[in-house]
Amino acid sequence: MLAAVLSRLLRMVVVMFGISVITFLIFFATPSSDPAARIAGKNAAQETIEAVRKDFGLDRPLYVQYGLMMKRLFVTRDLTSFANRGQQIVPAVAAAAPATLSLVSGAAVLWMLGGILTGITAAAWRGRWPDKLLMGISMMAVAMPVFWVGEMVNLITQNRLHDTWAFSWVPALGYTPFSEDPGLWFRSMVFPWLTLAFLYIGLYGRMLRTGIIETYQEDFIRTARAKGLTGRKVLLKHATRSAIIPIVIMFGMDFGVLVGGAAVLTEVVFGINGVGRLTYQALKVLDLPMIMATVLYASFFVVIANAVVDLLCLLIDPRMRRA
Amino acid sequence: MSEIRSIRARLKGRFLGGVAALAIGAAFPALAQDDAHYGGTMKLLGVSSEGTLDPHINYTARYWPLFIYTHDGLMAFKKVGGPESAEVVPDLAEAMPEVSNDGKTYTFKLRQGIKFSNGKDLTVDDVVASFQRIFKVSSPTSGSFYSGIVGADKCLAEAETCTLEGGVTGDAATNTITINLVAPDAEFLFKLAVPHAVIMPADTVMKDAGNQPIPGTGTYMFESYDPNASLIMVRNPHFQEWSKEAQPKGYPDRIEYTFGGTEEAAVNAILNGQADWMYEPVPSDRLAELSVSNADQLRVAPLVAWWYAPMNVNIPPFDSLQARQALNFAVDRGALVSVFGGPALAAPVCTILPPDMPGHADRCDYTADPGEFWSAPDMEKALALVEESGTKGQKVTVVADDTSTGRAVGTYLQTVLTELGYDATVQSISGDIQFTYIQNTNNNVQISVTQWYQDYPAPSNFLHVLFGCDSFTPGSDSSVNMSGICDKGLDDRMKAAMALAATDPEAALTEWGNIDYDMMKLAPAVPLFTPKDVDLISTRLGNYEFSSQFHWLVGNSWVQ
Repeated sequence: MLAAVLSRLLRMVVVMFGISVITFLIFFATPSSDPAARIAGKNAAQETIEAVRKDFGLDRPLYVQYGLMMKRLFVTRDLTSFANRGQQIVPAVAAAAPATLSLVSGAAVLWMLGGILTGITAAAWRGRWPDKLLMGISMMAVAMPVFWVGEMVNLITQNRLHDTWAFSWVPALGYTPFSEDPGLWFRSMVFPWLTLAFLYIGLYGRMLRTGIIETYQEDFIRTARAKGLTGRKVLLKHATRSAIIPIVIMFGMDFGVLVGGAAVLTEVVFGINGVGRLTYQALKVLDLPMIMATVLYASFFVVIANAVVDLLCLLIDPRMRRA
Repeated sequence: MSEIRSIRARLKGRFLGGVAALAIGAAFPALAQDDAHYGGTMKLLGVSSEGTLDPHINYTARYWPLFIYTHDGLMAFKKVGGPESAEVVPDLAEAMPEVSNDGKTYTFKLRQGIKFSNGKDLTVDDVVASFQRIFKVSSPTSGSFYSGIVGADKCLAEAETCTLEGGVTGDAATNTITINLVAPDAEFLFKLAVPHAVIMPADTVMKDAGNQPIPGTGTYMFESYDPNASLIMVRNPHFQEWSKEAQPKGYPDRIEYTFGGTEEAAVNAILNGQADWMYEPVPSDRLAELSVSNADQLRVAPLVAWWYAPMNVNIPPFDSLQARQALNFAVDRGALVSVFGGPALAAPVCTILPPDMPGHADRCDYTADPGEFWSAPDMEKALALVEESGTKGQKVTVVADDTSTGRAVGTYLQTVLTELGYDATVQSISGDIQFTYIQNTNNNVQISVTQWYQDYPAPSNFLHVLFGCDSFTPGSDSSVNMSGICDKGLDDRMKAAMALAATDPEAALTEWGNIDYDMMKLAPAVPLFTPKDVDLISTRLGNYEFSSQFHWLVGNSWVQ
């Protein structure tokens, strides 16, 4: 067990090292990314640019710069941004993380519940109207881009119907920390959660339905039926349990990627300043330290989420424990 | 109001769209000032923050209008609406400086009794240290605005030991500051009135203070700054108004600037009364609707700025004068004004100096009917010039930024170039990267689309900065002369005009107008249009005033 954990950790370090090197090299290969000229400012004199280059250590060999950056990111933890000088990277990411976690966790609960309910209901009524209705809605949910749905939700809740009884309780866009005002936190997160979850409910619902229907063809289902189990028991205890494994694996990946910053569109539309927006802003202004930190942060979550998913699969499916 | 007059002057009746109604918004009279208006919290919105809070370093249109309320220089631009906002008045200096030694020595008497927001008294030592700090922190303009101070050359070479010896000296006994210049500089007082020359306590950290607020003498002080969340300004407890036109007491007690979200969301927030103003331009798809439903909340004002397409005079096809002139003849500025939102939001231009810049003269050769103004493109002449240049059929790439307007202008230029017989394509790059990309000669950019806004109201700010030899550095990301033009004769004339301004400002302005005209004969760029500023404000916001220098005067408006 210990060996397994250690080998996983080692793999994680190797993956993150590779990602950081690639990020670093891509940055310096980008034309017109000269950090000294960007830091020095619009129409700066050449002497000024040289002074900045020296000051920031940008005149040193690339491997030295890489080493120093990693040291300042992980050891001394005082790495500062190129674009917002004085902004420390580690605290900035740490401050943005709770907003993203609130958004993604809340949405994850909704989409897992919604997705499982949709999938099971549709499978149980396969070919009849509840199935058709749910699958039609799911298809729409998958087809509509999240930023568009978000803008439409805002149009209704913040603009057209904002002053009516239905939506007057919706606060102004933005994020309020849970510790500050739990009520306001909840009210401001309701629509971001629903918007982000909508797409995944559709996706997971469709996947689960197909999985259950496929599982119905398996031998062990026929055996269960032959033993005289009720249709409900066969569906919930046997078919769903087997069909849900791919969903859990997918959930792990999606959750990791979203916490790592892939929820950027939802964050921007709803004014939630999370990790995704931080990454996006850093990319826009070519802020290497921030890009580096957020990319590593994201890869860390993807690797961790995968490890957790592996464990969960072992719990759900006894067959995997033997392998 | 000046805004109305200049808008009318440019509404040539050609492209009157629905947005023209916007102009009416600016007609609301300024109300009488009243003590009851002092107080309250003003809420500003921005999609993103924009870098360090150090006034000596930050060079953005987002924060300059805030710095003028937190910090003071020896001089200041008048904080009033209209054309007077381009005038310089004494701020921390008691009166206008005494100029002697043929315009090379400025002597300022420092006001007494002024305190910084940390409670310390302002002294001449603070002034001397602040001027040294400009160089010690490598301010972006240290090599351009302030390089004329005696001793600046040493400071630029070796920043840490900068003393500006013989350049800036203070005399505590008489409370005076003397600044010596290498040569007379008619623009020097302007340069002292921008945030890069504000005065800070002598013990301020001699490196970029980043997001740590630096004490100032202004009516407000920064309370906190998180680039990923908000910027908060509160009243400076030690502030006593000493000059209403230089540093008036601000109306709101507190100003909260929140970052994040989208432009769309910001518009909704202002309409809902959740915010008072947004930094980003109102999305053009909402303007038409707003000009009807909320016209009284819109304000339009002319900007001293231009959109232009610099052409690289050192590589084909635009190393040919005829090719550059041909494009100038062929571009339909009227169509580009429509792209930008119609004549209420922009006006066609034919010169380098924008219409509201001193020295601007209405002259236009590159039009169907040459005279004072641009009227219509002359395709026949353009096609003949391309034929003559022998560049027909060559490949041309237009490099635009990725904003919707940038892309639209780029695409328009592509169609014109195609009509002229070139093999044209458009490349659009993220805005922040594009501006440095098009400057570096290593990227071999042939033609690009970009904008330039004035730093202060002097013609050199456009002509000499954008087309002077000093601004051209091959292989550097900081080479703002994107055309790469270096015409010795014109460059000498520009330097002479800057010198002349010290003795005969009127003659210098006339000469700048002539230089503009002669530069355009070489056609290093296609002037496209001059944009206007549109602000959407909340219904409770009163006393909106627009300065040509710093745009909306935040602290001059009230929220109650």
